[in-house]
Amino acid sequence: MTAATPMEMRDRRFGWMLTAPGLALLAAVVLFPILWAGTTSFFDYTLIMPGYDNFAGFGNYAKAAGDGEFLHAAWITVLFVLAVVSIQFAIGLLVALMLNDTERGKGVYYLILLCPLLINPVVVGLMWRMILHPTLGIVNWLLSTVGIEPVNWLGAPDMAFWTVVLVDIWHQVSFMVVLLLAGLSSLPAEPYEAARVDGASALQRFWHITLPMMKPVIAITLLIRMIFAIKTYDIIYIMTRGGPGTATDLISYFIYRRAFVSLDLGEACAMAAMLLIVIAGMTALLWRTMRTAQDD
Amino acid sequence: MKRILLASLSGLALAAAAQAEEVNILMEAVPDTTYIQQLLPEFEEETGIKVNLEVVNYAEMHTKLVPQLVARSGSYSAIVVDFYWVGEFYKAGWMQPLDDRIEADGFDTSVYVPAMMDLVGQVEGTTYMLPFYNYAMGLLYRTDLLEDEANKAAYLEATGSELKAPETWDEYLRQVAFFTKDGQYGVVNQGLRPDPIAMEWSNYLFASGGSFMDEGWHATFNSPEGVAALETYIKNLNDYGPVGAASFSFDEAFNVFSQGQAYSYITYNFFRAAVDDPSSSAVVGKAEIMGVPGQTPEEGGSLNGAWGWAIPKSSPNPDAAWKFLQWVESPEIAKKRALLGGSPTRLDVFDDEEVIAKYPQTVALKELLLGSHNFPTFTYTPQFVEVLGRELSLAVAGEKTAQEALDTAAAEFDEMAAKDGRQK
Repeated sequence: MTAATPMEMRDRRFGWMLTAPGLALLAAVVLFPILWAGTTSFFDYTLIMPGYDNFAGFGNYAKAAGDGEFLHAAWITVLFVLAVVSIQFAIGLLVALMLNDTERGKGVYYLILLCPLLINPVVVGLMWRMILHPTLGIVNWLLSTVGIEPVNWLGAPDMAFWTVVLVDIWHQVSFMVVLLLAGLSSLPAEPYEAARVDGASALQRFWHITLPMMKPVIAITLLIRMIFAIKTYDIIYIMTRGGPGTATDLISYFIYRRAFVSLDLGEACAMAAMLLIVIAGMTALLWRTMRTAQDD
Repeated sequence: MKRILLASLSGLALAAAAQAEEVNILMEAVPDTTYIQQLLPEFEEETGIKVNLEVVNYAEMHTKLVPQLVARSGSYSAIVVDFYWVGEFYKAGWMQPLDDRIEADGFDTSVYVPAMMDLVGQVEGTTYMLPFYNYAMGLLYRTDLLEDEANKAAYLEATGSELKAPETWDEYLRQVAFFTKDGQYGVVNQGLRPDPIAMEWSNYLFASGGSFMDEGWHATFNSPEGVAALETYIKNLNDYGPVGAASFSFDEAFNVFSQGQAYSYITYNFFRAAVDDPSSSAVVGKAEIMGVPGQTPEEGGSLNGAWGWAIPKSSPNPDAAWKFLQWVESPEIAKKRALLGGSPTRLDVFDDEEVIAKYPQTVALKELLLGSHNFPTFTYTPQFVEVLGRELSLAVAGEKTAQEALDTAAAEFDEMAAKDGRQK
């Protein structure tokens, strides 16, 4: 790097000045809480006796790692993330491909598809709780008109898990559609024209042109969605409180309870730190994928 | 972050003080809160103090309160304390003692039901709260079904006994089985974790002759009586209740009852008034409430419960908050609340002729309250409710047997009681 000219120096200083307020705000609302939580995770810190008198070392981490309920919540979260992301991706890609070929009324479809995404997750949860009420909800009533027995949407462990997955899909699938559609519409038209001249079928065009060219977009979409899915909290809180039993006890809700019901902030921070490490790892992967995508 | 939060909070508090006299209270969305909302204009006219009630769902309250209580200056002038937070709030030192104010203003606390003062009034001899309303649980049941001649005849044939309001727990369970027919359920349960299921099952425990602990704070609810109570609960929920009751909170369960789909529902007594509200009920005049029956006609199985008013240490304006507490708990307003349908905590209100004339069930409610049992209250009560709710829900979901679930909860209870220095 060559030495900066006075003009460049001035530019740089001006740049720092412009970004300083934003950086300071970020430090206050992002960096500070993370550092505070990280520090707290090494102490026996409860809200009943707040204080940094008892250093616990990695005690909170060991306790969390040995806590069967916590590990169970982590496992349920893995299943949940795999289910919602894979199904949302399949539906999202299909809808995006269909919309990409649509000539008329694209805006209308777009608007309809975006509606769920614009609704507050708490409202989504409450709405679906009413719709799925086993005796008074409309879904079971509709099913009964065609002779299907009432479904126990939220009261049976396996069903409750899939109900929550379905509601999350309904809520978030348009996110996939929007991102994938943006990727599709930015693809160059030439390869498709060439393929058509060569007589390639629609399936061949999809497999050999669309998929390879979309790879970076797909990777990023999947990762962003996975990171969001790991943090799912609102729907669980409103719809099941982690039940029945522990069938829908996702990790974010578990950590929240450890902090605000058990008031054990030290252990909750240790759990949050472990979650942060996983998400940070995924973010690093996301960043690398984005860079390779640019290099391609 | 914390410091900035604190600074902005105290800034807010200063702003509130500058405008003078606004009282902010976090309240639960229950009927007793709406009665206060209706009466508030009287207080505002009388004192010029504006009262803002922030009304939220129960599940959000504790989470919203704690950060405000930990802060040096919080945003709530007064708070309402559920009985099972009392141990925790006391231990953490979040409530202001009220004795000096009570003495200075000559406020009479002797009118409260003694059990109420024990539960949500005094801790270790110091008054921290004024009992607000009681939510001792009772048995809501359909009187029209009991009086139906065809039912009477069928019940006599099936069981050899007369159909009437149940006097014992076993009689009640026979009726639950009997009324599950023709698309109607014998009972509706509130099986959502953690507190709906934990509170409801507590009645089953007491009614089955069980108890939570012995005098030395050692868990006893995994006894044979406790296991029988849980097995009965599971059977009621699965065989005699609507599909999905395992995920019902109390509002959903009450909807099933108020739509006339179930014979009975063990719930908070404040729902009694809602039964007769034509806008939310299809069984107006067809249901009554009683204490949950116990093993013998003399014993009750109801769970006690209540809320208390308190002034937090972090209150920005405790004097104005005390003015409000004095007003809301004055004989006049307490009676007005009861006349609107509120659940009293004061004996003078329970015995008030006008109140009894308007709500004849007040007599039964007083009896219910006097015969009810307390939930263990200590520093870790919220955590214990969480554990109990989880284990009960696991047993209902069939992931554990009743015995396994209760053993796990009992072991965790013993651990918490020992940590709190309670065990002897």
